[in-house]
Amino acid sequence: MDVEVRVFGGLENLIPGARFGQDIPLEVQEGCSVGLLLNRLAIPQEKVFNMLVNGCHVTADAILKKGDRISLFPAIGGG
Amino acid sequence: MLTEKQRARYERQIILDEIGEEGQQRLASGKVLVIGAGGLGSVSALYMAAGGVGTIGIVDDQVVELSNLQRQILHNTDRIGTLKTTSAKLTLSALNPDISIDTYNVRLDEENAAQIISGYDIVVSALDNQETRYVVNSACVSLRKPLVEGAVRGFSGLLMTILPGKGPCYCCIFPKSSCDPYLTGLIGPIPVFTTTPGIIGILQAQEVFKLLLKTGTPLVKEMLIYDGLTSSFYHQEVKRMPGCSCCGSLN
Ligand SMILES: [Zn+2]
Repeated sequence: MDVEVRVFGGLENLIPGARFGQDIPLEVQEGCSVGLLLNRLAIPQEKVFNMLVNGCHVTADAILKKGDRISLFPAIGGG
Repeated sequence: MLTEKQRARYERQIILDEIGEEGQQRLASGKVLVIGAGGLGSVSALYMAAGGVGTIGIVDDQVVELSNLQRQILHNTDRIGTLKTTSAKLTLSALNPDISIDTYNVRLDEENAAQIISGYDIVVSALDNQETRYVVNSACVSLRKPLVEGAVRGFSGLLMTILPGKGPCYCCIFPKSSCDPYLTGLIGPIPVFTTTPGIIGILQAQEVFKLLLKTGTPLVKEMLIYDGLTSSFYHQEVKRMPGCSCCGSLN
């Protein structure tokens, strides 16, 4: 099934060809979790401070559905 | 009523249909608390002062250091070693003697947050750490105060406006538990490019102006994310978390 991933704040540097904030279309297996998606993208989980699916905060065990929009953020906490 | 001097000072915005004398008066009656007089707070407070927000409160317990000056434009080299609140008041009062600047030389914590925040209409979170962000979010949710949250790192920044009960709070999107591993693993200063807090701080001031003027659309239920390397902005939809430990019971 198809999902879309957006990465921000430097995480794009971990994925060849990815750009800040730009949709990355991906095909994943039914039942794929957000954690498995991170593995597949080779993004170390400790680099990801926050994960949203369709605007809702999720944890790594959240199961993806067709058409989900996943956004991944590093820690952006300075001022 | 605006004075002649006020009319002259704010002339260029008073002539805007969205503002007029009534809007300018609304800004003059506005009370905004800026928590943190660092990179974000410098810029948001400067523009709120320039634009005529009548009362600005500044909370910070640190002194100006040389390494602050690359981005914290409220302060200057002569003020190294001076309290940031003192330095902030000097700069803001020089820019606009017509407004009141309240200073709080404290670190905001669970003990003092509600008392300080309750005297203001809107809060600007201009913090450099997660721990205080949670304290501020929780106090603003309890008091139902609008909170303009901003954060930066390197060339990236983000901001969102939190209207408790009407959209997600900080904890809905960044729940505290999920941040623990990051917080404990955080070592060393956060890298920040010179202009990044300037861009986000200005947009935080803009959120405050829209709320005070009751014009435009605040960034509620969406987060604005900035990439300084491509000069691009992205909107990210954000939703309330059912059962959020902080705002879950509000409606
Ligand atoms: Zn919440």
